[in-house]
Amino acid sequence: MECGSYAAARINCEEAAMFRFIMRRLVQIILTFLLFLALSYVLIEAMPGDFANVFLQDSRLTLEQRNAIRVSLGLDRPPHERFFIYIGALVRGDLGISFQYYPRRVVDVIMERAPRTLMLFISATIVSFYVGFFAGKVLAWRRGRVLEYVTTVGGVTLYTVFTPWFGLMMIWLFAFTLGWFPIGKFITPAVWRRAPVEANVVFNWMLLTALGVSVLIFGWLWLTRHMNGRWRGGIRWSGIGAILLVALTLWLPSGLGRYALNILHHLTLPVLTLTLISFAGTMLLTRNSMLETLREDYITTARAKGLPDNVIRDKHAARNAMLPVVTSLVFSLAFALSGGVITEGVFSWPGMGEVLLQSAVTQDIPMMMGALIFTGILALLAHLVADILYAFLDPRIRYA
Amino acid sequence: MVSRQLMAVASLLALIALVMACTPAPQPDQAVVPTPTAAAGQPAEPTDAEDTPEPTMATEPTGPAADGSTRPATTGEPYRIGIFSDLTTTNYWSYLGPNTSTWNSYVLGPQAAALYGLADKTFALVPVIATDLPERPLVQEGEFFVSEIRMKEGITWTDGTPLTARDVAFTANTALQLRLTGNWGSIFDPTFLDRVEAVDDYTVRYYYRDDPGLAVHEYGALVGPIMSEAYWSPVVEQARTAVGGITPPAEKATEEEQEAYQRQLSEALNELYSHNPQDEPKIGPFTFARWERGAFAENTANDDYFFSGAEVTVFEEGYRDVKPGGYETVVGDTDGEPLVTYTVGPFVPAVIYTIYGDQNAALLALQQGEIDFMLNPSGLQRGLQTQIERQVGLNVIENPTNGFRYLSFNTRREPMGDRAFRQAVATLIDKEFVTQQILQGVASPIYSFIPQGNAFWYTDDVPKFGLHKDGTPMTREERVEAAIAILEEAGYSWEGGVRPTWDADNRQVVRGGTLVLPSGETMTELELLAPGPGYDPLRSTFAIWIEQYLNEFGIPVRANLTGFNIILERVNNQQDFDMFMLGWSLTIFPDYVRDFFHSDRAGLGDFNAGGFSNPEFDELADEIKVCKSFDECREISVRIQQVLAEELPYVVLFDTNIIEVYADYLQFPYTETLDGLQNLYGMPSIVTIE
Repeated sequence: MECGSYAAARINCEEAAMFRFIMRRLVQIILTFLLFLALSYVLIEAMPGDFANVFLQDSRLTLEQRNAIRVSLGLDRPPHERFFIYIGALVRGDLGISFQYYPRRVVDVIMERAPRTLMLFISATIVSFYVGFFAGKVLAWRRGRVLEYVTTVGGVTLYTVFTPWFGLMMIWLFAFTLGWFPIGKFITPAVWRRAPVEANVVFNWMLLTALGVSVLIFGWLWLTRHMNGRWRGGIRWSGIGAILLVALTLWLPSGLGRYALNILHHLTLPVLTLTLISFAGTMLLTRNSMLETLREDYITTARAKGLPDNVIRDKHAARNAMLPVVTSLVFSLAFALSGGVITEGVFSWPGMGEVLLQSAVTQDIPMMMGALIFTGILALLAHLVADILYAFLDPRIRYA
Repeated sequence: MVSRQLMAVASLLALIALVMACTPAPQPDQAVVPTPTAAAGQPAEPTDAEDTPEPTMATEPTGPAADGSTRPATTGEPYRIGIFSDLTTTNYWSYLGPNTSTWNSYVLGPQAAALYGLADKTFALVPVIATDLPERPLVQEGEFFVSEIRMKEGITWTDGTPLTARDVAFTANTALQLRLTGNWGSIFDPTFLDRVEAVDDYTVRYYYRDDPGLAVHEYGALVGPIMSEAYWSPVVEQARTAVGGITPPAEKATEEEQEAYQRQLSEALNELYSHNPQDEPKIGPFTFARWERGAFAENTANDDYFFSGAEVTVFEEGYRDVKPGGYETVVGDTDGEPLVTYTVGPFVPAVIYTIYGDQNAALLALQQGEIDFMLNPSGLQRGLQTQIERQVGLNVIENPTNGFRYLSFNTRREPMGDRAFRQAVATLIDKEFVTQQILQGVASPIYSFIPQGNAFWYTDDVPKFGLHKDGTPMTREERVEAAIAILEEAGYSWEGGVRPTWDADNRQVVRGGTLVLPSGETMTELELLAPGPGYDPLRSTFAIWIEQYLNEFGIPVRANLTGFNIILERVNNQQDFDMFMLGWSLTIFPDYVRDFFHSDRAGLGDFNAGGFSNPEFDELADEIKVCKSFDECREISVRIQQVLAEELPYVVLFDTNIIEVYADYLQFPYTETLDGLQNLYGMPSIVTIE
């Protein structure tokens, strides 16, 4: 059903259309999620052996004792029965008990590890997005120059480099040789031996602070978008500065500032490494999108009007070239929770990637399923968010 | 327009509120730990099942004083150790139960002590908390066999309360009554042990239903840990109530009833295993301080450790442990040159176990001085050894391991069930060539089922197929001829009557016909399951060479290099295999041979996957479980090794040394020991830092 031309009615019609679209997508998401769940479980169960094999190391355990362990872990039941029991528990919000961390609940392990992974990979994703977007923007504008070739070749080289080797090289150079950063890990034991709280508490507060600051900055930019151009820049930066100052002021008296700084110190090198590895993807995507946009008539019109280059590039071209890049960003953020097994291993960052790896190696089915469920849900929601964002970013896109 | 803006901001605020509501509160747990008042002063294929040694009660010496003073100073820098996997628990019940892992043992091991332990280097049984060696024979009182152990007086828990016999009895009885599995079942064997009683504060009695052997008593219950009754009683009572409410199934219960009972039992035991042991009193040289999950764990020195300042001297056949003004324990022959002498500490204020995800990163940390030592059951990767040996400030050591890699046969299938066939295969495998030439000496060929490093139990007097009587390896030609002789005597032949021959000019074996079994059947292809090169390049290389040796001899074999779990699945859970290659990490007391080869362990899923059955061996294996003196047990051990070397249910192939590296400012009393320093948790209680 198409919306008519009368403004108010059209707006209501479009909102209704969006609502219907979102509802349809949510139903699809639920169905897709169930399929994903079943497929994941089947693939995991298809692996030979089970977690009880780890007890084969102790020959003094009799067969009866090992069977008792299998029963206690529920491994005596047939796979399909285990799956249905798992689904039933999942609906009740119970992700089960981890085999390797027995008897800790899966959700407790995820809540412990997720903030660390989120902090690392969201930071790296956002930084690499901005670097890539900026570089792609500039490269498209300065086609044919030496800078374009150097940056493109360098970026692609880093994009295709062997990640474990590159990570170790970064550690060797910046941590071991120059001593600027710690050699992996996410906290320094010497600093944290007498800490009054757990690292996860500080992680959570850091994440909240980052979220709150981001929201406030976004809100401030949104509110000031219609201000007079001459004063807008100064007011915006003043507001951002004030927000950051407030955030800093809240941290100072808490006594946790040095611990947060220690985490940030450890965070820098892996974020830098991940940014170098991944920025080229965004850069090339932005560049290609920009090149297409630069051929549009309205860009020619903007030039003819005598607008400055940076205004044409940033306000007109980049704004419209951003669509595929934002989609890519949203998907990248969704997969941030799954972390990176290799990165977390090289940098000794104990996050979700490491949990997934250990779960797969030891066949800790509940833990693997729990981690995959979170990743799956985020990925599916990311698709929905991307579709909704498209509608906001491009007024031409409307859903029936 | 304004309403949209407001809606957007309101939505964002609601999101923030939701996130904050979901933020977990700071957990009041191990992270917030009061600083002990006297404290001062930072892989493989790790973690795979077969490379993980089971936790032992090998008494990790608790530390000597550098200046000879009775109370060693525990000031200065902490001992910083790198490990490669996080703990999964700090609950000792859980650690020896469902959460058995090497990494847990590294941190929790130094916190505990037992009535008895194993001496350094010789691994002889010695008294620790007990005053003397246990008496043999046990005294029979009615239907029970009883062993009475006297404890040293004056030992206190870290909370100041005395260690008494009630703690010892409480620990054992809890394991028995709650039917704890995992290592608890091996330590306090419910088949033999009925109960433990505290006669008085310092005397404890063990009551056995049958006369226990060394494996059950001396190397079982007596080296078991001791838990604080005062601390754990309330928790155990909760678990006991839950377990007490569950009725064990009748003897003839159905499988479903058995399984239902097991499920209820495990849920009840969760009360015990899930308890967070905050401020748990300990008697070991260290107490638990902090665990920052995924980052590090810390033990702090127990300044009231009873054994601090004791001087320990180990002899070839004896042991002496003297604490000035305290006690003196002498075992065996203490004349002659000592093997090692040290004083018990600890000499470091704390031990910090930092978790690294990658051995390369940990090595960089070691080189930079961020850590002092790396604990890894697999040791240092061989490729890193060469790099490290050139590094100033680091020491690299190499020690034999207590284990072996082997080739096993499915004796239920022909011709693997024929001893002559197995002997011929053993003769054809040139272990010396593969280990020294192909593998460049990174592995050592072995012939006995007990490694040479386990000196007391090892014997060299075993048949060694493929070696001359003087111990020199046979040539290829000699091996072929010897294997032909063995098989022909057993009735084998080759297709067309064409035997394999040795081509001296080209120095190779010329294949004849396919081997024909005594029944007249021509051999069909056998499958050899072995780990792939990504998992273990040593075993995969060996498998390829075994395939070649056997094929050129007329025994058709196909090496299937596959995943470790696939091998386990086919071998243990299906018993669908012809031959396979795996490995074992072993204990000091060699009763494991019974678990590996006794005919009653040949059921589906059990350890005798090859189905080996030999009445003479079964009898010897039963005897080693119940032998009651060291001499008697050793005699049996020697005979067992000879029988196994003749029967060859396995062809033991090789083992590798463990390589370790540490900062040269660490001073250990000794560095040569079976399974390396990692087997002694890095010796945190006797190491000094200069």
